[in-house]
Amino acid sequence: MTYRIASLALAWLLAACAPTEPVIDTTTPSFVGAMPVDFSGSWERDYSRGEDVQGALNTLFRERQRIVQQQSQFPGSPRQSSGISQREANALVALARLVEEITRPDVLTISQDDYEIRVARKDDFDLSCSFFEGIAQGTDSAYGTEVCSWDGDSLVSHLVLPGGLTITHRFTMSPDGNYLRVITTAKSGATRTPFTLHRFYIRFEAPPSAFNCIETLSMKRVCSTGEVGP
Amino acid sequence: MTRRATCIAMLFALWPLAGVAQLNVSIATFDPGVPEDYSLHQDMDVFPKIREIESLFLPFVLREALTSTGGWGAVRVVPEPDESAELSITGAIVHSDGESLAVSLRATDARGQEWIGATYYSENNYEDLFERFVADLAGVAATVDDKTLQGIVNLSLMRYSAALVPDAFADYFQQLPDGGYRLLRLPADGDPTMARIHRVRSVEFVMTDAIDEKYRELHEEVDSVYEIWRKYRRWYARFTVEESQRNELRERNADKGSYEALRGAYDDYRMDRLAAQEQDKWIVGFNNEIAPIIKRMDERIAEMSGWVDDGYSDWTRILGELFEIESGLD
Repeated sequence: MTYRIASLALAWLLAACAPTEPVIDTTTPSFVGAMPVDFSGSWERDYSRGEDVQGALNTLFRERQRIVQQQSQFPGSPRQSSGISQREANALVALARLVEEITRPDVLTISQDDYEIRVARKDDFDLSCSFFEGIAQGTDSAYGTEVCSWDGDSLVSHLVLPGGLTITHRFTMSPDGNYLRVITTAKSGATRTPFTLHRFYIRFEAPPSAFNCIETLSMKRVCSTGEVGP
Repeated sequence: MTRRATCIAMLFALWPLAGVAQLNVSIATFDPGVPEDYSLHQDMDVFPKIREIESLFLPFVLREALTSTGGWGAVRVVPEPDESAELSITGAIVHSDGESLAVSLRATDARGQEWIGATYYSENNYEDLFERFVADLAGVAATVDDKTLQGIVNLSLMRYSAALVPDAFADYFQQLPDGGYRLLRLPADGDPTMARIHRVRSVEFVMTDAIDEKYRELHEEVDSVYEIWRKYRRWYARFTVEESQRNELRERNADKGSYEALRGAYDDYRMDRLAAQEQDKWIVGFNNEIAPIIKRMDERIAEMSGWVDDGYSDWTRILGELFEIESGLD
């Protein structure tokens, strides 16, 4: 019984102390010299690993239900329902649907130089992480704020949108450089419980194009089988 | 040409008949006005590569506006400000987003006296910005009497001569405490050193004209591509406004926390970023098309400027030696 009380107290403390918004320091360098990891390359989804959205949602519901039940068994606690509220369930399903949409692209193409990491995704905008002398440079508009940070060897992209919606992508590469894990977490103002989904990607060599192309303004895309240079 | 420009042209057309001196004008390529702090570029809508190109070809637009009035002598675009020019114009791009343009312009005569120092702003039609500046410049010129104009021409020549042969011409003018210059006297008619300087200056003018021609070629080659870029920017500005109106409507109709509300917030941001990425592609396209032209021009100008610089050192040395010999004979 003492162990259970201590566990609950710890869980409550962790939940209470967790930051509600991503805290990103944009004044001090998050690294010195070269970026900690080079993610550049082509990555395709590894369907043998990772979660599907329905499975992740079921696990989340079960976990929430277990916590609620534990809390209701605690002597002296106010009487609570045996599950999560319909409102919260709807909010979590909405988050799960959104995360499913966002993480749908099968292929990620990552380009990286000394200042920027760009993650190109089909049918979606490129995630862009810029650093100037190690300091994160955010993208700010009326529609949201996007900024990245490094957590050790993991790159974390934070997107803060109106209405309390936040989406983070955490990119971690395996030590051999062949696998990429992307943990996507979405949180909305309608529920305190975030929805998280793990996806895994395998590095692959994109076949070289038979054409060399450059963009121009007056002729649009100009391609040639030979060398095309500005 | 606008009605105002036509009036100015007619006014200036009559001017030479009255025997008024026409000043030669040097327009230096503009300062692109790109902040060193990279993080400010997005907030200030600064596209460094496009600014760089604008700084090279907008001075030619000003040159055309000035020459079209017929009220000035030779008007040349030069790579660096010409301190001894009869009238020197420098400019810095303050704002340029394809839709609106703001340029800080300064005109200073050989006396170091500022004729105009102001920022000009224009929306849609950047030619109008330079026409207004030219009109203002004509307004100042109209207040300067013929004797003063001739004095400016003479002082310019003396400053040029002193740069070539300091021993011979340094005491023909005086630098004032406020940084300006005052003409003290002129060389005698038939001064042999002066005759040589006139010859050197004409050779330099030929080279300056050749460099100026390169800026004309650049303008011809870049103008059509630049117009495409400006059209795109106008479309982008309209799109941003319309998209913002559409989003407001959508946000009002969705329940907070619902999938529709979340999707709406994400899609608003997604569309905004996709449009910004498309714009980046246009900038790359612009640069891909213009970069080879700029490279060619830079090479030719560097060759010609190098030739002038080398010649200038030789001329300075030879003229100095000749002056010493001739002074010794006196």
